[in-house]
Amino acid sequence: MIDIHDIWKIYDVGEEKIEALREISFKIERGSFISIVGHSGSGKTTLLSILGGLTKPTRGSVSIDGADIWSMNDKDLSSLRNQKIGFIFQFSSLIPTLCAVDNVALPVIYRSREHRHSWKAVYEYAEELLSTLGLKHKLKAFPSELSGGQQRRVAIARAFINKPAIIVADEPTGDLDSQSESDVMEFFSKINEQYQTTFLLVTHNLALARMTDKVHNMKDGMLLHSNNGGSP
Amino acid sequence: MKIYQVALKEIGKRKMRTIYTSFGIAVAVSMLISVMITASSGQKEVFNVIARYGHSLTIQPVDTKSGQSLKNFGIGTGSYIPETALPAILEVYQTAIVAGWEKMGALIFQEGTIGGAAFPPPTFAPRLYEETTIKGKDVIVGGVVLEKELIARFWWDIAEGKFMEKDDEVIIGRLFATMTQTKVGDLLDVGSTKMTVTGILRETDSPDDYMVFTSLKTCQTLFNKQGKISMINVRAMCPKCPVGEAAVEINKKVLGVRATSQMEIATAQSQIFQKTTALIVSFVVASLIISCIGVFNIIMGAIHGRMREIGLLKALGASKNQLIRFFMYEAILIGITGGIIGFALGSALSHIVGPILFKDIVIQVTPRFLVIAVLLGTLASIVASIYPALYASKIRITEAFKSL
Repeated sequence: MIDIHDIWKIYDVGEEKIEALREISFKIERGSFISIVGHSGSGKTTLLSILGGLTKPTRGSVSIDGADIWSMNDKDLSSLRNQKIGFIFQFSSLIPTLCAVDNVALPVIYRSREHRHSWKAVYEYAEELLSTLGLKHKLKAFPSELSGGQQRRVAIARAFINKPAIIVADEPTGDLDSQSESDVMEFFSKINEQYQTTFLLVTHNLALARMTDKVHNMKDGMLLHSNNGGSP
Repeated sequence: MKIYQVALKEIGKRKMRTIYTSFGIAVAVSMLISVMITASSGQKEVFNVIARYGHSLTIQPVDTKSGQSLKNFGIGTGSYIPETALPAILEVYQTAIVAGWEKMGALIFQEGTIGGAAFPPPTFAPRLYEETTIKGKDVIVGGVVLEKELIARFWWDIAEGKFMEKDDEVIIGRLFATMTQTKVGDLLDVGSTKMTVTGILRETDSPDDYMVFTSLKTCQTLFNKQGKISMINVRAMCPKCPVGEAAVEINKKVLGVRATSQMEIATAQSQIFQKTTALIVSFVVASLIISCIGVFNIIMGAIHGRMREIGLLKALGASKNQLIRFFMYEAILIGITGGIIGFALGSALSHIVGPILFKDIVIQVTPRFLVIAVLLGTLASIVASIYPALYASKIRITEAFKSL
């Protein structure tokens, strides 16, 4: 379970203080499939970064399974990001010097040995993920040899390699055509059902948000209201 | 896949950056290696000279009265050592050599052996020098015991004719032969006696080239110096004999003579050589430091260009330590590459520079220098990468993403 309590994020821009997030509090149960919608600058990505352990809030706490992630040391927080959270970024986020399958397997190298499967199993799973996302023929392709949509699908596959409990996705289908978008969402639903993986999606795409179980609306750094999926 | 494999792939894919960075290290390493190879080979050359000409003593009378003699070249006339002193000097010498060996920890089981290995007695080659005028030229006549002289001065060789065999025969130095236009078979007036030139010595680049040599007995008779000698050349017949100890003991115990170890002179020259080399190496190390600064700048630049990548690695779960390791692996790989290139360049450079600095030098490139080059390159690269790696590990993920 994720417990977000009184989160504030204030940026100092010169003399001015900008409140990117204000008084955000809510709980996310395990296996939830939720989305956060709002205009640009509403604070959705900042909130996602704080939940994912990427950005430290100015105030407030985020607990995952009872552990306050922002009081963890670098090693524990890195380990949490690696093992419990899978990230899908808004921008192209592949390592250009690694091929598709290596990019997918990359997060595994940061796992401790005792939590790591054999490399054979890791690569088999990486290939399976890429195949599921329609990239079976691009396993050894480098990012420069992939289209924007294909790169996005590699990044999606990478988010699942460590079988994380939480997937944090920022505009996950941004570069995809409608068919691929539908395939990816179907894949998310399947994983969500199969492993009780929690999904947190940030999107502008209302159609996409309607596919989730719950939609949170944000405006000016505040959480306005929540709706059940299909009616944001 | 492991962290070092990711670093290896990074280096393999970014070839130009790797080449720039490695080359910065390679240039400095090559300079250092070329100096080391040349210095080492030169040092061996010095020790070869020591082995060839060294391990010998020169014993001369302390008071050399003649002001016009070739004293500076070790030739003094007008002052003598009695021939009767030779056994006493030999005894002091032998005792000192045995004591020297014992001091070094060698076991003397029986006389003439060290640790079971035999060492032959030294060769004492006495000489008598007398000044005279031949063909209108002032010249020094040297009286020698030929069989001993040929051991003490093993580089002596006859260029024309043969060595003297009889009492009325002489050999002459090449320079004297040229200046006086003397040939083999000519008669020379030595003192009041006519003597036949039987041979001309091959050039030795020593005062011997402008001398006339006859037997010691003949020289003593000609100049009425029976039982007198001007100097003794001692050649120790074992390569590592402590002749320095013997020189000290002779100077201490035999009055009126001064023993000088050629080994000590050569060693002193070798020390000067080593100090000069150390000075050059210090300059080259300074260039290695400058090279480190260059590498540092390249790596810092590369890190700024890879901010998003670093942020991404952190987001995927790389801890600070793992990021530092990643950059250190890169540094090691770049350092090894730079070291290998530096070794190749340095070896080539030493083959060019060595012969310019040392005549007859034999450049010896051993695997030891490859190991040194790789270690130096790696060390330089690691030193240059420490701060950039720490900097990268501290980059905040959101800052890295903002740099897009």
